[in-house]
Amino acid sequence: MDELWDRFRALGSFGRFSGAVLLRLFTTRWPLSEGAHQLWLLATRCALPVIAVTFPAGMVLALQGLQIFTLFGAQRLLSSLVGVAVFRELAPVLASVLVAAQGGSAFAAEIGAMRIREELDATEVMGIDPLKVHIVPRVAAALIATPILDLVGAVSGVMGGWLVAVVFRGETNGVFWANLWALSKPMDLGGGILKTTVFGGIIGLVATWKGYFASGGAAGVGRAVNDTVVIAVTSFVIANYFLTSALYGRG
Amino acid sequence: MNTLLTLGQFGIFAGRVVRSSFTHKLPVARTIEEAYRIGVRSLPILLVISFFVGTNLALQGYVAFRPMGAQQMLGMFVGLAGVRELAPIMVAAMVSAKAGTEMASQIAVMRIREQIDALEVMAVDPYVYLVTPRFLGIVLVLPALTIISIATLIGSAWLVTVYQLGEPGGPFLALVWNTTSGTDLMVAGIKGGLFGSFICAVSCFCGFTSPPGPAGVGRATNAAVVISAVCCAILNYFVSEVAYG
Repeated sequence: MDELWDRFRALGSFGRFSGAVLLRLFTTRWPLSEGAHQLWLLATRCALPVIAVTFPAGMVLALQGLQIFTLFGAQRLLSSLVGVAVFRELAPVLASVLVAAQGGSAFAAEIGAMRIREELDATEVMGIDPLKVHIVPRVAAALIATPILDLVGAVSGVMGGWLVAVVFRGETNGVFWANLWALSKPMDLGGGILKTTVFGGIIGLVATWKGYFASGGAAGVGRAVNDTVVIAVTSFVIANYFLTSALYGRG
Repeated sequence: MNTLLTLGQFGIFAGRVVRSSFTHKLPVARTIEEAYRIGVRSLPILLVISFFVGTNLALQGYVAFRPMGAQQMLGMFVGLAGVRELAPIMVAAMVSAKAGTEMASQIAVMRIREQIDALEVMAVDPYVYLVTPRFLGIVLVLPALTIISIATLIGSAWLVTVYQLGEPGGPFLALVWNTTSGTDLMVAGIKGGLFGSFICAVSCFCGFTSPPGPAGVGRATNAAVVISAVCCAILNYFVSEVAYG
């Protein structure tokens, strides 16, 4: 019972924290240069992992898809499958998982270390709002970086599929590119961007929340990082289902 | 250059773990404890993630294949994509996020509090005491988690097919059943074990070589989850290529 109570308390604390951060994001003049700095850090830190994960994912997709389509003699449709799967699901979800694992955990570690070393208290004592200078720029960076990384992941996923289909298995290059957009529309990329903006917000808020309320020394920071990845990934996979239903369910 | 250096250190680390595991008595009780911890702690999140991956798989498969009039093939799509690829890689991602980061941060804290040095001073081999049980535990447990995730995924895909999309459920399950062979399940299990061994090796290595201070523990934990996820994704392609290519 106590545990359940703790869960509710955590949810309430997260809600209050998110409200305070979002309010400051839209109504105060938070340091834009810090936001740009965080955006640059986040994008450069995550770009390589995102490519390193979506590229093999696209390769596997082509590998398995080719097997099935060969059964029906429909190999020319392979790139359509790759396009739909990568643009709608794989790139948004994988990019967000990597942003949570790389960027989100780094946020939690940085903010958590600031909390443990009492730097956040020091900021407050100096009359500066720690939410405004430390938290809001990071959340804003996550909101913007995740959709960009989604596009990076989409390109690299399609390139992975192309490598297997055209280079390794000798499908025709022209057919691959001609059919890429047969089933998917540019709208699908837009849907991915919309999804990843929401996911990026979830990641940024969860990571900074966990770091902001970290306690218990170095072990506490480790725990905050651990919780961040798990909570962020779980909540945006759930959000993904509802967003997919809303975007494509009736379509 | 730094990457090469780290790679070399990782090789030495792995070599020491293997050597220590063979020259010492196997810590059976600790292995069971770790297997239980990794399995039971990761299970709730794994169920949630698998459930929602299954719902999305069914939904997207239906939307994508409907223009070709192939919504009856939904079961085949779910069987192939879910069982062969998504379930193993999702399990790997979640276990590296949950159990892997936990290993990394625990060992990193022991490192910066000099508890690992204390173990060595007491003539306890830290590799056998800390790494071997975790390694055996995760390799034992991951295949089971993968099978559970497959079952959850198919169940949730069935729920969406019947209740949200209004397609008949019987033919769906029959198609899933027909497209999934015992070999597929076995390959998924093998993938699980393989990913598990990579996750454990990478996470423990990151913990052992943690930089000092709270920020160092954070960085070690961060590196553990990213490197192991990337390793699993790349490894996945090669296993699929060998098994199905």
